[in-house]
Amino acid sequence: MAYPYVSDVEVRVISKYFGDPAHRRIDTYVERGGYKALEKALSLEPDAVTDEIKASGLRGRGGAGFPTGIKWSFMPKEPTRPHYLLCNADESEPGTFKDRELIRWDPHQLIEGCLIGAYAIRAQHVYIYCRGEFFEVNQILAKAVEDAYMKGYAGEDILGTGTTIDITVHQGAGAYICGEETGLMSSLEGDRGEPRIKPPFPAAVGVFGMPSTINNVETLATVPHIVLNGGEWYRQWGTEKSPGTKLFCVSGHVRKPGNYELPLGFPLIDLIENVCGGIRDGNRLKAVIPGGSSVPLINAEDARNCELDYEGCVEVGTMLGCASVIVMDHKADIVKQIRRMVDFYAHESCGQCTPCREGSAWTARILRRIEKGQGTEEDLDTLMEMTEQMVGTTICVLSDSIAAPVQSSINKFRDDYLELIRRGDQAGAV
Amino acid sequence: MSDVPLKNPGWAGNTGEFDLTEEQIRGEDFIGERPLHGGHSSVSGTMPYMLIEKNPEAELFEGEYQERLKKILTRYPKKRAALLPVLSMVQELRGHVSPESMDRVAELLDLSPAYVRGVATFYTMYNKRPVGRHLVQVCTNISCNLCGADEVLAAFLECTGTELGEISEDGDFTVIEAECLAACGFPTCVQINSRYFENVTPADIPKIVEHLRAQVKGGD
Repeated sequence: MAYPYVSDVEVRVISKYFGDPAHRRIDTYVERGGYKALEKALSLEPDAVTDEIKASGLRGRGGAGFPTGIKWSFMPKEPTRPHYLLCNADESEPGTFKDRELIRWDPHQLIEGCLIGAYAIRAQHVYIYCRGEFFEVNQILAKAVEDAYMKGYAGEDILGTGTTIDITVHQGAGAYICGEETGLMSSLEGDRGEPRIKPPFPAAVGVFGMPSTINNVETLATVPHIVLNGGEWYRQWGTEKSPGTKLFCVSGHVRKPGNYELPLGFPLIDLIENVCGGIRDGNRLKAVIPGGSSVPLINAEDARNCELDYEGCVEVGTMLGCASVIVMDHKADIVKQIRRMVDFYAHESCGQCTPCREGSAWTARILRRIEKGQGTEEDLDTLMEMTEQMVGTTICVLSDSIAAPVQSSINKFRDDYLELIRRGDQAGAV
Repeated sequence: MSDVPLKNPGWAGNTGEFDLTEEQIRGEDFIGERPLHGGHSSVSGTMPYMLIEKNPEAELFEGEYQERLKKILTRYPKKRAALLPVLSMVQELRGHVSPESMDRVAELLDLSPAYVRGVATFYTMYNKRPVGRHLVQVCTNISCNLCGADEVLAAFLECTGTELGEISEDGDFTVIEAECLAACGFPTCVQINSRYFENVTPADIPKIVEHLRAQVKGGD
């Protein structure tokens, strides 16, 4: 059986073994060439590993798209204090379901990536911060980590090279904000997952006050392939500025939702129409959120001109984020969906910054009023003005993430709002 | 397990066929619960499972649980970092995290009770009050919502005869809304205790509820 849906145009580098339960076993993984990249990395100098990642142009897959190799090079070269590598597996951005699949189907790929990353940044301890709701994922990952220890790929004196790297799986407890890098560090330290002001940046003062690097699951899962095949090899896919392949999580009103690994720069409309079988029930495309709920949504016209890489998305006024493509057909109730998203952010706001804590709740209340047909046109101005004040005024970008869908939906789908407002007026007049 | 056949066994990867078994999907090495003592210390902080029968009076940190606690403490440079895994252990045993349990945890980790309360109330997975034997969490966030999650939630409430967030009269169910469970391609996603049920439609719910009721009676 092919993993939920597959497509001929996919380039399956990190998702090659999705749908094959045997691949979770360490023996199968090793038989298929697993842990060869770790062996190779350990035979190189740590900086040589970082250079290879730099050469590949791999960019962070958690949403921000920062070049991974450059991030690693921020770490001190002569460690005087413990270094830590953190793997962000707290996947909770609405629309995103790639990290769960990466760990469930290929746990050793991630473990190998973590070990290589730790070696490159001279860390002796990796914390994999895994989302608390992922019981099944945790079970699979736990077994895989135990096996990696047993076979000598993790722990002391790895493969007889004298290198020591420990791995600890740490389980979250249900808080979206712990996916933010400094929020994750607070949470790992046993505190509320409240983000911290940067600077200091994690490479100087990270978890437990020590130099730390934090990478997304998908980023680390890609690392072994680059180390094994070289940075140039990875550049055969994607664009100059956005090299490589990326998992696209497609959800919503398409016939075949799922994870598809495609070269960056892939046309969005091609993904929807061909790879995912088009809009379901013969409906028409109305709106797309191409990068998870925190990025601006675009209309069908922009979607036709959108290329899925970090630059292409910016050109049509949105962002690639973590490439979670949420598709809505012409019957979708945009105002309701935006309100639901804002409800989510209001629930997940950590409450440190006033614009976010108060702004999220107010925005939700106004949207709910409009949804019920009790809104006015001035409400739209209020929403625009208020969300403008929520951008760039807080410690982390959760607040900005509320503004993005609200502003973009009012800009692109003003008629949807006005119709609800008018309908309310008519009902009131009767 | 009950012999009530389920249309949707809930392992992701099924898109409408629903005929794969737990063995086929997860591989036989990965079936079953993690040992109570936590296994290797690197992974001892991962919560093995949610117990259906909860005992709010259960002894904390004894026997195998004490062994697990010791292992967890070896993994962090600071004791406080063990707070989340320790609170998870409390919930695993008692089903929820009561003020008394929090005080006990505070004492154990040399923290103030107020601090522990501040942390415990920050995270949604810690139940601050008792819940039913089966905790049903329906994702109603955007991707599931676009595909009818509101109807799935309504059907669960109707079928279990309970109000949102309350414990049903027979003590079997608590149904709540959940934020995105990261299974957006398999909507609607419902987490029941420690397991994900995916591609759930309102029509599946009577069977799922019946199956869960049978688990309670049969002891699973």
